[in-house]
Amino acid sequence: MSELRHVGRESVRPDAADKATGRAHYIHDLVRPGMLHGKVKFSEHAHARIVHIDTSRAERLPGVRAVITAYDTPEVRIGFLRDNFALKRDKVRQYRDEVAAVAAIDPEIAAEAVELIRVEYEPLGAVFDPVEAMAEGAPLVHEVDARGRPVESNVLQLTVGHESGDLAAAERASKHIAEGEFSTPLIQQSCMGTAGCIAEMDVRGNLTIWAKTQIPFLAQRDFNRALEDMGLPGRNARVIVPTLGGGFGTGLDTHAYEFIAILLAHRTGRPVKMLYTREEEFANLSPRQSSRTRIVQGCDADGRLTFRRMEVLQDNGAYTSWGATFPTVMLLPATSLYRVGAVKFDARIVYTNNTYCQAMRGYGNPEVTWPIECTLDELAEQAGIDPFELRMRNRNEPGEVTPMGARVTTCGLGECLEGAAEKLDWKEKRGKQRNARRGVGMASLIHVGGSGRIYRSDGGGVILKLDDYGNVNVSYGGVEMGQGLHSALTLTVADALGVLPERVHINPTDTATCPWDVGTHASRGAFIACNAAIRAANEARRRLFEMAAEVYAQEVARNAESHRRKNPGWTQPDVFLPALCRPEAFDLRDSWLFPKSRPDEPWLRIELGRLLRALHFRGEKGQVIVEEAFYEPPSELPDWDRGMGNMSACYTYGVQGVEVEVDEDTGEVRILRAVSAHDVGRVLSPQALAGQIYGGFAQGVGYAMYEEVRSVEGRIANPSFTDYKIPTAAEMGFPVDVVIVETDDPAGPFGAKGIGEPGLVPTAPAIANAIYDAIGVRIHDLPITPEKIVAALAARRRETPPSR
Amino acid sequence: MAAGMRRSAIEYHRPERLADVFELRGAPDTWLVAGGTDLMVRVREGAVRPRAIVSLRRIPELGGIEVADGARIGALTRVSQIVRDGRLGERWTALALAARSLGSAQIRNMATVGGNLCNASPCADLAPPLLAADARATVVSPRGSREMDLADLFEGPRVTALAPDEVLQDIRLGAPPAGSRSIFLKKGRVAMDIALASISVQLLVDSGCLRSVRVAAGSLAPTPVRLRRVEAALEGKPPDEDVLSLARAAACEEVRPISDVRASADYRRHLAGAFVERAVRSLAGGNGR
Amino acid sequence: MKVECAFVVNGEPVCVDVAPAARLVDVLRGPLGLTGTKEGCGNGECGACTVLVDGEPVNACLFPVLEVEGREVTTIEGIGGPGGALSPVQEAFVRHGGIQCGFCTPGMIVTATSLLRSNPDPSDDEIRDGLRGNLCRCTGYVQIVDSVREAAKAMREEGADE
Repeated sequence: MSELRHVGRESVRPDAADKATGRAHYIHDLVRPGMLHGKVKFSEHAHARIVHIDTSRAERLPGVRAVITAYDTPEVRIGFLRDNFALKRDKVRQYRDEVAAVAAIDPEIAAEAVELIRVEYEPLGAVFDPVEAMAEGAPLVHEVDARGRPVESNVLQLTVGHESGDLAAAERASKHIAEGEFSTPLIQQSCMGTAGCIAEMDVRGNLTIWAKTQIPFLAQRDFNRALEDMGLPGRNARVIVPTLGGGFGTGLDTHAYEFIAILLAHRTGRPVKMLYTREEEFANLSPRQSSRTRIVQGCDADGRLTFRRMEVLQDNGAYTSWGATFPTVMLLPATSLYRVGAVKFDARIVYTNNTYCQAMRGYGNPEVTWPIECTLDELAEQAGIDPFELRMRNRNEPGEVTPMGARVTTCGLGECLEGAAEKLDWKEKRGKQRNARRGVGMASLIHVGGSGRIYRSDGGGVILKLDDYGNVNVSYGGVEMGQGLHSALTLTVADALGVLPERVHINPTDTATCPWDVGTHASRGAFIACNAAIRAANEARRRLFEMAAEVYAQEVARNAESHRRKNPGWTQPDVFLPALCRPEAFDLRDSWLFPKSRPDEPWLRIELGRLLRALHFRGEKGQVIVEEAFYEPPSELPDWDRGMGNMSACYTYGVQGVEVEVDEDTGEVRILRAVSAHDVGRVLSPQALAGQIYGGFAQGVGYAMYEEVRSVEGRIANPSFTDYKIPTAAEMGFPVDVVIVETDDPAGPFGAKGIGEPGLVPTAPAIANAIYDAIGVRIHDLPITPEKIVAALAARRRETPPSR
Repeated sequence: MAAGMRRSAIEYHRPERLADVFELRGAPDTWLVAGGTDLMVRVREGAVRPRAIVSLRRIPELGGIEVADGARIGALTRVSQIVRDGRLGERWTALALAARSLGSAQIRNMATVGGNLCNASPCADLAPPLLAADARATVVSPRGSREMDLADLFEGPRVTALAPDEVLQDIRLGAPPAGSRSIFLKKGRVAMDIALASISVQLLVDSGCLRSVRVAAGSLAPTPVRLRRVEAALEGKPPDEDVLSLARAAACEEVRPISDVRASADYRRHLAGAFVERAVRSLAGGNGR
Repeated sequence: MKVECAFVVNGEPVCVDVAPAARLVDVLRGPLGLTGTKEGCGNGECGACTVLVDGEPVNACLFPVLEVEGREVTTIEGIGGPGGALSPVQEAFVRHGGIQCGFCTPGMIVTATSLLRSNPDPSDDEIRDGLRGNLCRCTGYVQIVDSVREAAKAMREEGADE
């Protein structure tokens, strides 16, 4: 590896100019020859038996090429529990269930055809509340499991639990105890580019699918299985990922619309595009789960945490996505955020007739950090300790092994706490501005920083292909969805290999050309890709230097000749060339090869493209350089029943703080300023890093204050940006200070940790704690709307009549 | 349902004379459109399925802003024109504030005064300041033209008092009472939002007492409304704490908000009171105009 | 059923057959192949489809195409200079990290361009308010506001040089 010339320095995104000029192509922009447009007929009931589907009028509409239902297509099961179906047969379990689909020559005809489909239903008793769904006699959402065995309860057999330490003793030893129930709502990921795909089949039954996915290879596996279900065993699905208009977790599962596109493409022999409108996206794309958490935690007289108990209940909705495994990540903050000796954690997830849910940025972490960090402030108040001080006393430290067995390699939580406190003028402000209805609050986070193992392989591979012109083409199976993966990867390849960043070109993600990768989640993209790239680059350099030794003397002679021609007075310095023609004598930097011992002499330097051509065009000895490396991080697949295991190669920490001003009359909360302090290991791309932190923070603000998908008896009541409000630029009208702590983790590429998700993890409790500091009211249910604040203030007034 | 529901089958007329508008709109399932910010959404969502759309944008009689002592604002005036018109902003501060609060720069460049009012949405941002300015509406039809109080235009949610052959031509404002000032307060969930509640107040302070008090509300009743009882609670009174608190209570009593996905009726009611108090405080205290 | 509609796009006169009630966004993205304009919501809420009509920003998803007859439309493809040169606003978005997934970017840049024409030296609050009709889910807007501020500065300096 060469010295770092690009990593950590300001640079622009490789795709920025195309995106700024409208030349980047999203699924919305792609067209295939002969392409048809698909449209889904969704259920009109939350829970009902399908009595009859009449598609005859739709079929007769000119321009319609196919109408399909579960009754005339092979059964295609989806989801990792195989509890969902591309098209629904016998009964629907949620409003968005797909009962039929159409392919037509244009989207308008497809939409009209869908309206002509008539479905007769026999409504069934439905259940919308996860607590009611657990009650005896509740309507069963699924009567049988994927293997056809009868099911007795709506509770999923996906329990995650953990118990460590002597809880009873710890509880007895506690001086202060804080407890409460906290909830988080359904959240729409709100990618600006809606979901869609194009499915195309060749004559032999092989599939090519352009998909808005974050998991190309797991999707390939799912699609291959679907081909098998369709009577096409052994055929292959090739997944190509176009430019993504955001991901945020929506791409962690394969979706019914994708399988429907495949069925329609198979039926018609034509490429079929499915594209959700914004309303369809809101109504029919899985949101982040809602959660209810009961928490009790305690501390001793000095504010040292003694124990923590948490019980989480999640509403799965009618089917199961990977999002149902949120508790695997919840375990981490529950057991490992601050040092706490005794922990009990239980999570249950329950089927209901609500929309089924999926992953979103943070993957369970914000849901549990919310109650942990709120009750931490309550403990501080009880103990009479400043909340910052309480956090410092309990902070994690390098070298510690947490109750779940997470091995903390590096940890900058203390520095993050101090940085946040400093930026907020914590000491001057905390508890001192109540007259002005102003307050400050903070909250911390721990998250996986070295990927998070929830699958048997957590690795990813990179191929570096060097061409005759000195270009480096990089293939990686993970996905750039806006987060800046390609920025980090470009800089890493440039430095690890020793080439100019502009000579690094990242190929489109395509299962046919990229090595396997588990998917872009868990903040793992840059961590995995860059680790793999460094390994591939090291190997490429080793081979390049080995071969260069064979041609170097000849190339330097050419250099000298040309130098002499241009500078007639020049005499070649006395250099013993054979000593330089050794692999270990070379260095490569910014696309130039030169001897380490004489880096500054132009006639001894060979441009990489010329060197590669010299290695290629030399008769039978000719070689080209293509290197591949697969990186599997050093982590363990946890034992979920016991909630034990070192699930990540390293852990990342952070602290967010805000100062707020509350208008007690209208309940309006105004953020005056904010700080986001993060232990990032090492900065790879400063611009991309800042973008992840700012962007995460804004999503955290939305989660905390504005966003909630409203579900009324299973139907989404606010399926548009008119009534689902994400922050606009005007809401973010306050300074956000970013504090970067570099801890240089041994597992990280150049020391870097993953930083994609942390930005939204502690935002809500930081804001809630600041509101409490300002007005002494605590809201337990997100989002913290002005309406809830007004109601809480009114309730307080009723309890304690004013003294005046 | 099949035929005529396709967007590609909708006729779109662009008449240049009012007479042609009257003739075209006589056909069944025909909708008038000005800015299109509301209708185009409803057509796309299938909430309305017109057979024909008649664009008013080329009708000269419906355009123009004239300001003298009072003002005449053509129905086709775009919201952005109100924002930019200093003469309007100087005399009718609340109207300018409401215009600025409406939608986004893009929406304001399309949305028109006439469209905002004739949708008869309870949350039309321009309605409260115009109601508080005693605005009159001119309505034209093949039968001639007539004037009415703007307040009488609104009959219910999305229902106006316009006869099937009538078109809103313009809004007329008299000169505001000498020394009067006005303000518009609105609560949205974010900056780009439909009002959860809005209040517009116009008044003057004479010898320490509030005079010519006009209070109007948006999103607080089935239509934009004047709050007459609030006005009565303030008229002729000094803006002291007792009066403000009575006016606040009157506002909470007088409004008839609904609960929906945006806010509860209770919260809207609460905002009505809070905004009335805040608006009067601000106008009596020297801010606003 | 279709009617002719003639207007100017990015300086070029065009004449297209359109369904009478077609939306501008569909004609731009379809027959005219100008896919840089994005549709993010179809409701005028997200601003991804923002284009200029006679220099003023509008939501192309709400704009009936027949209303641009005889007028000038500028899309993201017409914001930059000839031969793919970036405009100062585009250049600033590229340099200052105003772009992540990029789906909101064309609309954001078109709106910002218009904002800076009417207000060459906006405060940060004026920038944020001017962009309130353009939603972005990736950036948190910080680097977008940086980009617009820096573009304004570059344009003022360029103007001062001339």
